[in-house]
Amino acid sequence: MITRRTLLKTAAAAAATSVIPAPALAQGSKKITFLTWNIIDQKELIEGWIKRFQAAHPGVEVEWLDKKGPDFGPFYQTQLTAGTPPDVINTQGALGLEYAAQGALMDLTPLFAKEPAVKARYDANYLGNWIYEGHNYMVPFYITKTLLFYNKPMFTKAGLAGPPKSFDEILSQAQKMTSADSTGFMTLNFDWLYWPLFAENGVQLVTPDLKKTAFNTPKAAEVLDKLAKSTQANAINKISWTGRWVEPNGAFAAGNVGMLHAHSPAYFFFKGQGSWVTPETLGVAQMPGFWATPNSHGLGISKGSKNPELAWEFLKFVTDQGQAGELAERRKLVTGNIAVDKATLAKLEKDDPLVYSILKTQLEHTDKMTGNWRFGNDSRVKDAFWPDVQSALLGRKDAKSALADADRKVSRELLRA
Amino acid sequence: MSVIGTQAAAPPLASPRASRWATQRHRQLLLVACFLLPSLVVFVLYRIVPLGWNVVLSFEAWSPLKPARWIGLANYAEMWSYDDVFWTALTNTLIFIAASPIAIAAALGIALLVNSDLKGASVYRTIVFLSYPLMAVAVGIIWRWMYDERGGIINYALRSTGLVDRPIGFLQDFDWALPSVIFAEIWQVVGFYMIILLTGLQSIPQNLYEAARIDGAPAWARFFRITLPMLRPSLFLCIVVGILNSFSSFDLVYIMTNGGPGHATELLITHIYKSAFVQTRFDYAAALTVVQFALLLVLTIAANRAAGGNAGAVERD
Repeated sequence: MITRRTLLKTAAAAAATSVIPAPALAQGSKKITFLTWNIIDQKELIEGWIKRFQAAHPGVEVEWLDKKGPDFGPFYQTQLTAGTPPDVINTQGALGLEYAAQGALMDLTPLFAKEPAVKARYDANYLGNWIYEGHNYMVPFYITKTLLFYNKPMFTKAGLAGPPKSFDEILSQAQKMTSADSTGFMTLNFDWLYWPLFAENGVQLVTPDLKKTAFNTPKAAEVLDKLAKSTQANAINKISWTGRWVEPNGAFAAGNVGMLHAHSPAYFFFKGQGSWVTPETLGVAQMPGFWATPNSHGLGISKGSKNPELAWEFLKFVTDQGQAGELAERRKLVTGNIAVDKATLAKLEKDDPLVYSILKTQLEHTDKMTGNWRFGNDSRVKDAFWPDVQSALLGRKDAKSALADADRKVSRELLRA
Repeated sequence: MSVIGTQAAAPPLASPRASRWATQRHRQLLLVACFLLPSLVVFVLYRIVPLGWNVVLSFEAWSPLKPARWIGLANYAEMWSYDDVFWTALTNTLIFIAASPIAIAAALGIALLVNSDLKGASVYRTIVFLSYPLMAVAVGIIWRWMYDERGGIINYALRSTGLVDRPIGFLQDFDWALPSVIFAEIWQVVGFYMIILLTGLQSIPQNLYEAARIDGAPAWARFFRITLPMLRPSLFLCIVVGILNSFSSFDLVYIMTNGGPGHATELLITHIYKSAFVQTRFDYAAALTVVQFALLLVLTIAANRAAGGNAGAVERD
């Protein structure tokens, strides 16, 4: 039977517990949170990592959270505002730089200085994508950049010998493959993925110091005009400028689009939908000039982490040979860990030559990455640039005035930064 | 007897009876306050405080990890002078609102049909209403596939019947995108309007129609002289719901077009979301929200005035 005294004691204990500061409680259990970007399908893998990490670090608890792309930003922003950001985060594209510019991420540069072997494990060019104002804020988790997929039967039918070697050849080959039921070329357009089309014509978005625009030039207008005309002629599929992920990849999977400019994960999407996709029918090439836009996933540590040392340990653990190797093998991807990627490619060359040829492009010409400006306000610059250019591409505006309008808006964003 | 009625009938305070009465009244008021307090606290915490903070935020420069700085009307000035997207989103939102009468008119037509002696009217009523309980996300996905250029049933039907040579990019075309999204919105909400209007129709006394028939009034006169005037409260409700839907059609637009192509289907609500959570401009999004709130207030007041100025009033006994 509960006596009055017992009840009072329990109530007093509960009250005392409630006034103990939260960090004091946290110190007892040492907990970190790992936030990933839409990889809930890798539950078994990640829970295995956590189990191993916890076994190697007794008394440590790792909580895993996964958010879909559209939910990720709102979730992380609200956690930042509440002062409880997840310790280790996985972001896509340039989002990490934006968080770094906001002061949300921990600078990893001093940690690299202390442990140069850790820095050396990553591909330097991919690692460089997360350098903001000279400091490194993220490390590669899994890496991608754009390449050119092409439909070999359509090339043969149009009498084309091989993939294009120049921008003009992209357009002319696309035109040759265009008919009432087919189009010649398609590109993904989000996150600057279309930028190689401009880069191979020498068009730059901004000056090297990122302070001024550089795209409002006669050459850029000429390129834009050519792309718009090819779109009007249906040589470039209109979905290139309107679709996001499902629509263009789905269209290529249908088998009546000659070329698809996309990053490597697109392969797994269109292969799942397109029965025509085999090693004999799918061609893989670099874009002319070897230009490509990266769209990798990185790992960073929130500056507001209560256990930054532990978070750093976890980040190193996840990207070391064991875990990164497991990820690469399961998902058939490259991780940015040089040793792991070398081993992965060697294995794939024998087991899956088509995937090998795709992933090989991800590690070649990494010095020719474009569309990866180290802006702290990338999404705003993107939003300032794209709508006018999109209007020109879809024939709603002439190229010159579209570029002039975009110039005014992008300049304003650069000034604000 | 209601509390309000009791207050109105309170006798002078001077007499002992009045004093007893006042004590009783205080007790009643206290009781009412006790019942209301939990809801009021929640309402103030979750509605009034955020709204007030949102207004303050709209005059500041702030991001999650940086201290707030007072910038006066700068966010509003930017909206007015530089933000082309704001004007596009505002125009699109107004077009969305302007499309509500189409849905209401369609709903009225259907309500009149299912209110008649039509065979199987209840089945049709259920079919029309079925779209309303569907989640907006599901509606968005369904319509996105129906509009699809390659495999969509609409393009298939248009091409099969020879109405078009090439498929129409309903959601990719600058001219088609907004009407296409509005059509999906109408499709979803028309069932709800129909039920409201049907309830209104069924509450119209039949003797009015009988009297009109005896007087020789034709069908159109009975509709315009009896049905429409008697339906005014229901129509007002539909209009207000239409306005609210136009301001909150986030899910549908987000799923179907994400505001594109360009900003052809951008609404104020999607612009607010993108400013806050894509561009991390919570301060600017707060200013946009204030404008949207003001606009909503003005439109609701205007609709209320148009309905006679006392919509929503509670009758006293």
